[in-house]
Amino acid sequence: MNLKKIKEIPIVKKLGFNRIVLTGVLVLMYVVLSLIVDKFAGMPRIMSALNYAYFLGFLSLGVTFVIATGGIDFSIGPVMFCCALVSGYCLTSHGVPMLLSLIISVIVGLIFGMFNGYLVAYWKVPPFIVSMASMNIAKGVASVFTKTQSVSWPQAAKGGWFRSLVKVGKFPVGIVVFFAIAIVCSIVLNHTKAGRYILSLGSNREAVRLSGVDIKKWEMLAYVICGTLAGIAAIYFVGAYTTVQPGYGDQYNNEAIAGCVMGGTSMAGGLASIGGTVIGVFIIALLQEGILALGFTKDYQLIITGLIVIVAVYADVMARRRKN
Amino acid sequence: MGEVILEMKKIDKSFPGVHALNNVDFEVKRGEVHALMGENGAGKSTLMKVLTGIYTKDSGTIIYEGKEVEFHSTREAQDAGIVIVHQELNMVGHLTVAQNIFIGREFKKGIRIDDKKMNEEAKKLFDRLNIDIDPTMTMSDLTVGKQQMCEIAKAISHDAKVIVFDEPSAALTEAEIEDLFKIIRDLREQQMGIVYISHRMDEIKVITDRVTVMRDGCYVGTLITEESTKDDIVNMMVGRVIYEEPKTQSQVAKDAPVVLKVEHLNAGRMVQDISFELHKGEILGFSGLMGAGRTETARAIFGADPKESGEIYVNGQPVTINSPEDAVRAGIGYLSEDRKRFGIVVQKTVAENTTMADLPNYMKGLFIDKKKEREVAKKFVDSLATKTPSVDQMVINLSGGNQQKVVIAKWLCKNCDILIFDEPTRGIDVGAKNEIYKLMNKLASEGKSIIMISSEMTEILRMSDRVVVMCEGRKTGELMIEDTTQEKIMNLATRDIN
Repeated sequence: MNLKKIKEIPIVKKLGFNRIVLTGVLVLMYVVLSLIVDKFAGMPRIMSALNYAYFLGFLSLGVTFVIATGGIDFSIGPVMFCCALVSGYCLTSHGVPMLLSLIISVIVGLIFGMFNGYLVAYWKVPPFIVSMASMNIAKGVASVFTKTQSVSWPQAAKGGWFRSLVKVGKFPVGIVVFFAIAIVCSIVLNHTKAGRYILSLGSNREAVRLSGVDIKKWEMLAYVICGTLAGIAAIYFVGAYTTVQPGYGDQYNNEAIAGCVMGGTSMAGGLASIGGTVIGVFIIALLQEGILALGFTKDYQLIITGLIVIVAVYADVMARRRKN
Repeated sequence: MGEVILEMKKIDKSFPGVHALNNVDFEVKRGEVHALMGENGAGKSTLMKVLTGIYTKDSGTIIYEGKEVEFHSTREAQDAGIVIVHQELNMVGHLTVAQNIFIGREFKKGIRIDDKKMNEEAKKLFDRLNIDIDPTMTMSDLTVGKQQMCEIAKAISHDAKVIVFDEPSAALTEAEIEDLFKIIRDLREQQMGIVYISHRMDEIKVITDRVTVMRDGCYVGTLITEESTKDDIVNMMVGRVIYEEPKTQSQVAKDAPVVLKVEHLNAGRMVQDISFELHKGEILGFSGLMGAGRTETARAIFGADPKESGEIYVNGQPVTINSPEDAVRAGIGYLSEDRKRFGIVVQKTVAENTTMADLPNYMKGLFIDKKKEREVAKKFVDSLATKTPSVDQMVINLSGGNQQKVVIAKWLCKNCDILIFDEPTRGIDVGAKNEIYKLMNKLASEGKSIIMISSEMTEILRMSDRVVVMCEGRKTGELMIEDTTQEKIMNLATRDIN
């Protein structure tokens, strides 16, 4: 049982065996891609992968909280698009100032989070159903609001100062923001009452309720955090790609969930790792960059992330079965 | 009695932290009712689970009909003719009786299920057992007793040669028990080997031929029922006497104030018009058979389940309790009978579980003061003598007794003055049991007031200052410990209610 011994080494235990392996996978992927793809190494590809990692990362951080409660949110991708479309339409067609538009984006996400959370926590509608429904609602709202037009946020040169949230010159400002928010998430999850209750109720809801804790409030909060982060994700999506079209966004659900479960968050609830989610997101982002660089279409990415989710969840199920 | 049909030799089984079975021998003959006795946690159920393939034995042999066998699932055991009638019934409530009996092996007509044939076959089974049940009834409409008859019919339909009854009478009325015994005698006539697990001495005397006693996972001995007295069996079960004597008189001061008063509490069929008082420093035993409504009463008081009517007073003040939150605020803590489901969060540490009910008092601004949390948890680990390598240990890795102590710590940490212990020693080994008892006495002497729900008579007699007895959702009596006897309790617990 050499593996067991390795896992017991203090530094490995502190960083988490799973996270070390994932980081290895990430580095290995990068090295392999650099070797087999011409001109893959270097800043342009990294910047491109980072653009993908930002918005996906915020989605994934958010859904980590929801999955920690034992729930699931399949609406985050379309909600992100809804946030980007509604706020973008306000900006471009109603002359709302930039800063206010960005705030609107976050607020739209927050509202969806409250909606999902309230239904799940207080009305006890299964999260699967709630989020499937609000996925459609998000798409519908976005289409109605924008009259089914795509929205293009301004380029940096034309007053698009918000894009400096993503990068300034060659410096990736986004990564600083992303890490900062990830650290805040990690602190919330591990060092506050909210995080303690969210994880505990994900592990054993009844025991927490019978301890006299208002579990509904804390469960709802997880969805609110998730929605709010989808609103922030929207800013980074348009910051990187400018244009959004109504009716899309579903594929990012799966990718965000993949990043999260790959990082060691248990779909059964109760166990979550923000650090793991961050690494998981980078792997997904690099993967999509690699797939495009190898000349495959985006469709392959769908297949691969689909498989990743299954493998990661299966690994989690097996790990728990062994423990029992 | 015929030849030996089943023989288990030197069976050994360990779980993390528990040596559940230690070299256990057991045999059953054809045409015999063989009682398997022992206190909770003696290893009876584990032994039967090893037999029927639910658990895999670590070592030992099982010889069945002359051949060595090893089953890997209940299905395999069933196919060989060994079936178990569980304590909890495994029935699908909204299917019919016949559908339940033949579940997994339905008769078919083409691809359609042949309900008519199943009903006929079920009827034949019932006729063979002299049971009067309509196979087309919906299972959930039957009484528990009738459901159990169905379970037995199902077992027999597998062409069973050995039937294990795991505490079959626990939830039955006296009349139903009579019916059950009639069936068991019939089965014995038909040369089946029957294992009868029960705690009830009177039943053992009436129905069984031999008695095997287990204690702490070990085989103690086998007696022929007819030639042995109740005392013989009890002595084997208890072995070295570690139990204190029953309490002879209440330890509560005469003028101790009433801390909790419940009046006319109603919550469904299981809680009907319950009224009682709990005094400061008192251990109030709640006795009764399974399904008497004791847990339901506790849960209703604690706000875990909704109540229909009734008043609750804490220290003389009326309180409204609609949720566990309200109850905890009123100073009531509830230790569930099912720790794993309702008591602890297994993926959290000892420290995190300890502060679960009192987390707002462990905050430093927005953040949890983990240092203080650990210190307090450490204090409780020491004072309750919880066996854990550290307070950072996940609770999942602790034994049942130590998990229970973590739950106790949770409520002491919250400083609850009224504690409801629901089956506090269920699934806990004998040594740890004694510690829990000592702890409860200590808490009571320090002025905490305790409601103790227990199905173990010895526990009730040993711990309680006063005993409330319930039967089928009603309070049927209240006894001071001075004049409590097993017989009196049993009488009240089984009294017919009009």
